[in-house]
Amino acid sequence: MTQELSSLMDGELEAREADRAIGICCGNEEMKLKWQAYHLIGEALRREEPRAGFSSTRRIMEAIATEPTVLAPRRRVPASAGRIAFAAAASVATVAVVGWIGLQESGSPSGPALATSAPAARSAVASSVVPLKNVNEYVVVHRQLPNAEFYRPVSDQAAVRR
Amino acid sequence: MRRLAVALPVAALLAALPAAANPGIDPLTWLERAAASARQSTYAGTVIHMQGERTATSRITHVFFSGSEHEKIESLDGPRREIVRRDDQMQCYFPDAKTIRIDRRVTAKFFPSLVGGPMEAIAENYRLALGNVERVLGQDCQWIHLDPKDALRYAQRLCAEVGSGLLLRAKTLGARQQVLEQYAFTDLRLGREVSRGEVKSTFLSQSKDWRRDVQPPDEPKPGSTGWAVASPPPGFRLVGEMQRLLPNRLQPVTQLVLSDGLATMSVFVEPMSNPARTAEATNEDGALSVFVRPMGEHLVTVLGEVPPAAAQQTGRSVGRQAVVAGAPVR
Repeated sequence: MTQELSSLMDGELEAREADRAIGICCGNEEMKLKWQAYHLIGEALRREEPRAGFSSTRRIMEAIATEPTVLAPRRRVPASAGRIAFAAAASVATVAVVGWIGLQESGSPSGPALATSAPAARSAVASSVVPLKNVNEYVVVHRQLPNAEFYRPVSDQAAVRR
Repeated sequence: MRRLAVALPVAALLAALPAAANPGIDPLTWLERAAASARQSTYAGTVIHMQGERTATSRITHVFFSGSEHEKIESLDGPRREIVRRDDQMQCYFPDAKTIRIDRRVTAKFFPSLVGGPMEAIAENYRLALGNVERVLGQDCQWIHLDPKDALRYAQRLCAEVGSGLLLRAKTLGARQQVLEQYAFTDLRLGREVSRGEVKSTFLSQSKDWRRDVQPPDEPKPGSTGWAVASPPPGFRLVGEMQRLLPNRLQPVTQLVLSDGLATMSVFVEPMSNPARTAEATNEDGALSVFVRPMGEHLVTVLGEVPPAAAQQTGRSVGRQAVVAGAPVR
């Protein structure tokens, strides 16, 4: 049945088979949850926001946990005041910063690039905006990601390495 | 007898690898085995990397022969690009720009080769324990737990395939045990299923006339940048120090690299272009923390797979290195 649900989602079932699958899906609480879970998984894979209104988050999460190649969605944590939403606010300028593994997209919370004074009484100075582009460059250097910004003539690449 | 003849060379080969030793119940042995297996065995597979809210897939092919690691990493998302690595020498192919960047691995960590540092350093900074054996990719997989001894590093969960020791999964956990970053193989071929030819660049034949962007191999002696981290978090030691030229900087930027055996931090010091900056700033993205601190006419930026507190402590203790009789003081 699980296979049928999966096929139904993918639009692979004939009309009559689909009717049967839908009938079972809607008449059975467990299958309904599975159906929802599959959609949630699909959305997670497509990186959409999970749909609101699921009745049993725990069971869905369990279903996801048992799926072998599934990306469990992470709950989006809003950027709290006092954080720089660096990847986010980088805006169009940072599109040039092409990430490698793990830096492909900037799916980060939207919001202004707020910098903050550091915790505690270390710095009582007013907040300022951090040059996000600079930070992204350093991310690329730190992780040694191949980056389009490094396309420079050989003569410019006089960096001394250890 | 025929069977024995086949089995013997295999046994000899396995005996030559630390990976083949029976790891028993010592988590440190498992860790050594995972490190050795990632370097010295042959494998190919698809890797999913989840960091913060992003996921990315890549295909990794790793072959070990003539005492060298040969590896190809193809990004499967976004613009086409590919790393071909022989030990620490990296060639990054950018087919769209017809460019090959020649670089040297310093801070880069490519799954499943996540355990790089000296084992003593790791044991000094993390509590090691064995977790459950789980079925992963159809194989028995032993979880290895690394829990930090202080709040200045993250916990790691590594899952090593019982037969080969190779890591099939890896997670970085935050203070509330939440997953900050993880890697997982979604398919894997091992040993003879992978041929040497597979590690050649996809772009080898068409890249003859591509631009080659070469990093000079000059290596300054440690301490030559004039900057030092006076009091990094316990267990973090300086493992690299260099000057880099970045595309948008006129002057070279100093990079200091610190490691506790598992986690790595980069400290960048650059002349400040905007002296009006006066505030410190902190941020984190997945397991990566960023701390920016203006310091007189310089700007210090710390990046690393560490909690923000560790990046802050490091950034706040950056200063000019004391020099006695012309020799750097360590």
